[in-house]
Amino acid sequence: MTVTQDKTTVPEQRRHVMQVRKRNGDLETVDVNKIVKAVERWVADLDEVDPLRVATKTISGLYDGATTAELDKLSIQTSAELIGEEPQYSKLAARLLAAYVEKEVRNQGVATFSQSIRHAHQQGLIGDETAAFVARNARKLDDAIDVSGDLRFEYFGLRTVADRYLLRHPQERTVVETPQYFLLRVACGLSQTPAEAIGFYRLMSSLAYLPSSPTLFNSGTRHTQMSSCFLVDSPRDELDSIYERYHQVAKLSKFSGGIGISWSRVRGRGALIRGTNGKSNGIVPFLKTLDAGVAAVNQGGRRKGAACVYLEPWHPDVEEFLELRDNTGEESRRTHNLNLANWIPDEFMRRVEADGDWSLIDPSDAPDLPDLFGEAFDDAYRKAEKKAVKTVKARDLYGRMMRTLAQTGNGWMTFKDRSNALSNQTGAPGNTIHLSNLCTEILEVNSDDETAVCNLGSINLGAHIIADGVDWPKLRKTVRTAVVFLDRVIDINFYPSDQAAKSNPRWRPIGLGLMGLQDAFFQLRLPFDSDAARELSTRVQEEIFLTALESSAELAERFGPHPAYGETRAAAGDLHHELWGATPAQTERWATLKTRIEATGLRNSLLVAIAPTATIASIAGCYECIEPQVSNLFKRETMSGEFLQINSYLVRELKARGLWTAPIREQIKRAEGSVQGISELPADVRELFRTAWELPQRALIDLAAARAPYIDQSQSLNLFLSAPTIGKLSSMYLYGWKAGLKTSYYLRSRPATRIQQATVSVAPIAVADDEALACSLENPESCEACQ
Amino acid sequence: MLLDPGMDLTLRPMKYPAFFDRFKDAIKNTWTVEEVDLHSDLADLQRLSPAEQHLVSRLVAFFATGDTIVANNLVLNLYQHVNSPEGRLYLSRQLFEEAVHVQFYLNLLDTYVPNEQERFEAFAAVENIPSIARKAEFCFKWIDSVYSLRELKSREDRRAFLLNVICFAACIEGLFFYGAFAYVYFLRSRGLLNGLASGTNWVFRDESMHMAFAFDVVDTVRQEEPDLFDAEMEQQVRDMLAEAVECEVQFAADILEQGVSGMSLGDMREYLQHVADRRLEVLGIEPVYGSKNPFAFMELQDVQELSNFFERRVSAYQVGVTGTVSFDDDF
Repeated sequence: MTVTQDKTTVPEQRRHVMQVRKRNGDLETVDVNKIVKAVERWVADLDEVDPLRVATKTISGLYDGATTAELDKLSIQTSAELIGEEPQYSKLAARLLAAYVEKEVRNQGVATFSQSIRHAHQQGLIGDETAAFVARNARKLDDAIDVSGDLRFEYFGLRTVADRYLLRHPQERTVVETPQYFLLRVACGLSQTPAEAIGFYRLMSSLAYLPSSPTLFNSGTRHTQMSSCFLVDSPRDELDSIYERYHQVAKLSKFSGGIGISWSRVRGRGALIRGTNGKSNGIVPFLKTLDAGVAAVNQGGRRKGAACVYLEPWHPDVEEFLELRDNTGEESRRTHNLNLANWIPDEFMRRVEADGDWSLIDPSDAPDLPDLFGEAFDDAYRKAEKKAVKTVKARDLYGRMMRTLAQTGNGWMTFKDRSNALSNQTGAPGNTIHLSNLCTEILEVNSDDETAVCNLGSINLGAHIIADGVDWPKLRKTVRTAVVFLDRVIDINFYPSDQAAKSNPRWRPIGLGLMGLQDAFFQLRLPFDSDAARELSTRVQEEIFLTALESSAELAERFGPHPAYGETRAAAGDLHHELWGATPAQTERWATLKTRIEATGLRNSLLVAIAPTATIASIAGCYECIEPQVSNLFKRETMSGEFLQINSYLVRELKARGLWTAPIREQIKRAEGSVQGISELPADVRELFRTAWELPQRALIDLAAARAPYIDQSQSLNLFLSAPTIGKLSSMYLYGWKAGLKTSYYLRSRPATRIQQATVSVAPIAVADDEALACSLENPESCEACQ
Repeated sequence: MLLDPGMDLTLRPMKYPAFFDRFKDAIKNTWTVEEVDLHSDLADLQRLSPAEQHLVSRLVAFFATGDTIVANNLVLNLYQHVNSPEGRLYLSRQLFEEAVHVQFYLNLLDTYVPNEQERFEAFAAVENIPSIARKAEFCFKWIDSVYSLRELKSREDRRAFLLNVICFAACIEGLFFYGAFAYVYFLRSRGLLNGLASGTNWVFRDESMHMAFAFDVVDTVRQEEPDLFDAEMEQQVRDMLAEAVECEVQFAADILEQGVSGMSLGDMREYLQHVADRRLEVLGIEPVYGSKNPFAFMELQDVQELSNFFERRVSAYQVGVTGTVSFDDDF
């Protein structure tokens, strides 16, 4: 006890004698000035950073006898921990990390990009073709590396890249490429000429566009599986087919794919099994097996496998299906690793509205239901109702769906008829979309022997904004490059299953998405729910869709239309926004495009899908896809650790007004990242910086519906309610269905109570009372909350 | 009054509706051990340095018994003397939560420590690891201090009971556990032991509520019987917290014995003092240490989490959602 006390009560003394162990084993006394110098190297453009503060704080966390590598890592961590006070520390931490990574690469004798590729090729990491391509063009490619490229990264983005995207030595586990080498490697894996590679590299390095994670992981490597999404049709109603699906899901998952799989064709509990004259146990035990399978296969060690199961609501096991994610009840009937989605025909929603009955029908009695949509489905369903296993009130079942959404966030509402009626791929009879994917933005036809595949990439809209609005020429250029490289993936891709290899060359679908919409709104000072924001989002989406179609037509001129083009609605002269009935703004360009398509066809059956972009938005340092910000101050939890994120637009705004002070920071923290209760801030600032929890969800749906005509697949639309009730949810999703949404994604909600804050002061700040008064009914004039 | 001896059975009219609200809120946060995925932790355990391995083994040894002690005090003392049926509803719920925590750490140890003999040793930490034994003694002392009281008849009885409540809220759940959570969150901030962290996150959420409830009890008694609180009592609380800080610091000295980069003993002491100050403030007592929180990773616990669902199970959902289908609710 006494020893301990002595050691800790005189920390100054201890610090004087603290030593670190160098890489060669020598001990060296820790020197504050040395750390300060190391930090100062990186702060030329970071005027708010205090190098001495980083140095002293680093030393305070150190122990006597630590290694210099530990010291380096701790200084990175220490800078990262100051981000909540001053966002510039994010850049500093990123640069210290880049320097650390660079040292690790250089220590392996790698001085250039081409040497890095050669080294990684020798270790069996790089594919022969890419290695040869780089060797042939070594000088040009080496010269193309942008030495200041890493300065653009924020800490969280670079940390993500360093921990999970950079290729590692198979035994040593050291990284063998720097962040810029990594991006050029990805470009080279998809390019035919050095000029092409360099152009694509520059676009990615500027963080204006990024392909999806599987492409970033695998381009240029020996396993070029670069697709994000796989849509697997329901197993047939027989054991062999079910076990074949397990096998297929495992193979797809191994190579980083996210999986959507339908289960609507498999008979329900109690249905007769003729072969044995027994009764079926229904779908739940089979899904339990799928659950275990998904958990067992991790995606190349980089992230956990993930799958979403789709079921149509007429299936007799639908009620048990909705309980699969509950956290209580019989464990053998729970699937904690599977996501769940409802694939809903309009007939169901109509009966919910009319408060009608709903029949549950066994698929073995009506095997054609999964393949039908629209009126054909309605007729077949009504006929099959005679054989119903059970009849429930449509509203009761709808209510259960809402309950599942509220309690688990799962049980996504996706709409079968709308998805099929507007799809370019369902022009010919027999082509049906049976489900969406893991993130509800992909809608593609599939069948028993064809698994739909999609490659994704997303434009960072925040990087396409100039003073007075969108930089349209830049946006067009980005779209053109993106389409070419997404299309390229289809031919180079390694397909983990035969079913996937069969579908993709026929339809050649791609999914060009968008991220950083919230960044664009902040930069242009548009409140998320304003008319101007909705108009901007719609026009951006029109521009992207239009340019993507133009690019696809151009590719078709060179390489011919995709083989199944004749079966598409485009071949019959109908484009997605026309099927939707929307009025575009760029009428002339559309007219020209249509004439061109008539002549040449399209290289791709589908072009646009808005994916959640969770990881690549982090790398690019922007807000996720089309989402509003979740909070002005929050932490990200990932496999790499936890990261504080602060809204740098808000910080800039407050600094300009002299309001970025410790008390204001504390108030933001106390309010969990909300600025609504901070009376010092002007009303327009509070309005602009509302969070997803504070926006009317109707506006999110309206924005989504307004841009939807220009999205030929769909969008991963999350909705946010802090305190969901069945009443709110049922109103919200009915509204979404009526607005014409094809799909929706998670319902986000918040825990009923929270961990007590450990680092904000105990005494409540007086403002809280002012706020209560301002919002009370006795004082209606000053209340803005309800206006 | 809340501490009057007896077994009040009357829920209507409800005397302490706030206790009932806490009971309802707690139910919404139901979680089960099966939801916590420990499988990535096993890979992490292999990568830990010897110093970190020592830290983890000490930490789980503490967790193995910590919640059981709290549960015992709850049954033996709190439930008996908090004479409000709605208060007892909350305590019953708390007891369930403590049991889930015990089950979580049991499952954790079974997973982390595959060797049976080592596992037995971990569970016997209270006997054979001195730094943990010291903390346990502190707890037992305060359990025993009121154990013999069947009824709180005198002013002295009530003061003794209040000190027990304050000890378990401020020192054990509010300091020992907060110390333990700091190690867990330190590891998580470095991307280590996510399974432990996600389970602990839920434990932490529950513990925050337990503490808040206990302080509610103290505040209620303070309103009902203000004369129980005086300078002598304040001094007793300060002494108790000082002893708790020392207990936890000697535990930290053991846990950090081999040197852990980013978590020095000096910083840990400062953190514990900072936490102790906060507990005093909640109790309306002038803070004594004036220490600041040195751990930025603890600040991370104060802000909203946003998980990438590919990587983490999201812990932000509620159970017990109510209402009926309607089409004209505002959203």
